[in-house]
Amino acid sequence: MTSIIYELTGVHVRFGSRVAMDIDSLIIRAGCLHVLIGPNGSGKSTLLSVLAFLVRPDRGCLTFCGSPVDWSGKQLTLLRKQVTLLHQDSYLFSSTVMTNVAFGLRMRGIDQKEARRHVEHFLALVGMAGFEERDATALSGGEARRVALARALACRPKVLLLDEPLAHVDQESAEIIEKLIATQCRAGTTIVMASHDEQIEERLPTRLIRLNAGRIDSVT
Amino acid sequence: MNSAPFVLLIACAGMLSGAAVRLKLSTTTSTQDAGILDILLPPFEKKCNCQVNVIAVGTGKALKLGESGDVDVVLVHARSLEDQFVAAGFGVNRRNVMFNDFVIIGPANDPAHIKTAKTAADALKRIAAARAPFISRGDESGTHQKEMELWRSAGLNPQGRWYRSVGQGMGETIIMATEVRGYTISDRGTYIKFKQGKTDLKILFEHEAGLFNPYGVIAVNPKKFPWVRYDLAMQFIDYLSGPEGQALIGGYRVGGEPIFFVYGRK
Amino acid sequence: MGFIAESLRKAVLLIVSGSSDVVSAVSTSLVVSGSSIVLASLVGIPAGIGIGTGEFPLKRVLLTLLNTLMAMPTVVVGLLVYAVISRQGVLGSWNLLFTPTGMILGLTLLALPIVANYSLSAVKGADPRIVPTALTLGATRFQSLLQLTREIRFGILAAIIAGFGRVISEVGAAMMLGGNIRGYTRTMTTAIALQTEQGEFAYGLALGIILMGVALAVNALLTYVQEKRRA
Repeated sequence: MTSIIYELTGVHVRFGSRVAMDIDSLIIRAGCLHVLIGPNGSGKSTLLSVLAFLVRPDRGCLTFCGSPVDWSGKQLTLLRKQVTLLHQDSYLFSSTVMTNVAFGLRMRGIDQKEARRHVEHFLALVGMAGFEERDATALSGGEARRVALARALACRPKVLLLDEPLAHVDQESAEIIEKLIATQCRAGTTIVMASHDEQIEERLPTRLIRLNAGRIDSVT
Repeated sequence: MNSAPFVLLIACAGMLSGAAVRLKLSTTTSTQDAGILDILLPPFEKKCNCQVNVIAVGTGKALKLGESGDVDVVLVHARSLEDQFVAAGFGVNRRNVMFNDFVIIGPANDPAHIKTAKTAADALKRIAAARAPFISRGDESGTHQKEMELWRSAGLNPQGRWYRSVGQGMGETIIMATEVRGYTISDRGTYIKFKQGKTDLKILFEHEAGLFNPYGVIAVNPKKFPWVRYDLAMQFIDYLSGPEGQALIGGYRVGGEPIFFVYGRK
Repeated sequence: MGFIAESLRKAVLLIVSGSSDVVSAVSTSLVVSGSSIVLASLVGIPAGIGIGTGEFPLKRVLLTLLNTLMAMPTVVVGLLVYAVISRQGVLGSWNLLFTPTGMILGLTLLALPIVANYSLSAVKGADPRIVPTALTLGATRFQSLLQLTREIRFGILAAIIAGFGRVISEVGAAMMLGGNIRGYTRTMTTAIALQTEQGEFAYGLALGIILMGVALAVNALLTYVQEKRRA
């Protein structure tokens, strides 16, 4: 039996008066590939934010790798270094592609010089070799998505969370991204992905989690 | 972030604040504007190897600075206020330094006919009667004190649109009087300075005992404020009332005219 | 209005002749204003960002207070600082009245609400994705705020420029706290006030032209330095 990464119990998230998420029980085990399926507003992004330790639920219990999350500052920083979220419309910092992709590495104490090697490796992975000195704010939609993915991968997280990674990108970028997801899976990264595409389970070994209005409909 | 410029700035500020021994002198704006300090201070600063910091404000404030111990020595021209200052224990060793006088200036055509007045109080009476525009300092300065004294001897309490109390310095007051072609009382020194190009008003009344304007220098009392530079202040007072200072004051000219006069030698 | 032409002529003469009074006034203005804006930024920028990004019970109160401070007349700030640093005041023994340091204290208090408020605005207008992005990439809360500051750097620069404009043009508080002492606490602005009071309008305006030139040069420099350092 593979180990349990996340265990959610009675987790409730509210934004103002709107209930964004209400999950009685959910277990996510290590390995691939967990896909969150559901219409807009069903709570997919909220769940990903909670799993990324960016949003604190107002009720409920969350454990990560067996230990309960107490949401203290110190613990959060450690946890966030193991889990990386790629937002649906990710924000690239207003500087070079190099600086963006190296960000996670710098946060983990790797100096500028050594980071360069890693950056070049990950840019090559997403098919953007040579883009290091380009202005990150001047990229096309697909290019920006791939740089954001390279930036997330460079963090070498235990868990990779992806919010609609294949939405609104060109064919070439979509193929590269899907191939990388598969590679990460085989390498042992746990991936939780929000998607509209129900056909993905035909291409990769998948566990589907259906969400509706913040609650879990089914898990298959 | 490069912090070098920041460090440099603070160092400059430090340098600006440090350095020489400072004697803080409060005086009136008209004294400073007359320019006498520019020739009086440098020889003294050289002699005592110090810097005289001149804070020029209204008469009232100049004395108040002495009353709070924020300056070491005071040079003003308001005898009654000076006497109160010393009597209350704020100042010691008051000495006469110099004197000049006040003049009543106005437009050349003299609509109120004050040229033929017998006394200054009479002149003001005529201005009030003619309702000619009159600008008052209105700021508790020595000049203003003198003006109020004269209105009192004339038995009048000036009121009405013709009488404008502006709360400004002497220079600005003269400018205003020039603009409205009105009358005002000024110390002779400031008027002489302004005569050259800034005003076309003329002296219409002068040389009366009531317009006498004596200047006094007072050291701030070290018993009340132990931190004041009393020794340096006394050196300054000795210098001002001594032969060197008195010669410089007596010899000071603006546009060829003397502004200040010294008392005769004893 | 013939004195405008005369002022331009006088301004050129003053600059060319390198009059020591003018040089002293310019350098005093720069040192006093420069120090004040540096201190105001060191406190104001983190304060503005902190209030803008934080969630704490007194947030509304602080925001209102900040807005009110911006409307405070400079003469009031001058009076308050005067009361504190005068010999009769709490900090009397520090001997700050009628010194450049005393002026810096007052000017810093004047610039602080401006820098904080503009920084706050810059934060409010920032992309809300910046901090979560930095956090998910492994940044600590502090590092994420640093990154936020980098992303809104033009807004921050605007805050500094606005604050600098405030202090370099200050007359009232500078006069009250510095005493307009020639060669020591006389700034460009207090020198202009003095010239005006003495009726020397052309001289005063000439100094004003020089002051605007100095302010222009500083702003140009700040903008250039920022353009160069594209992180």
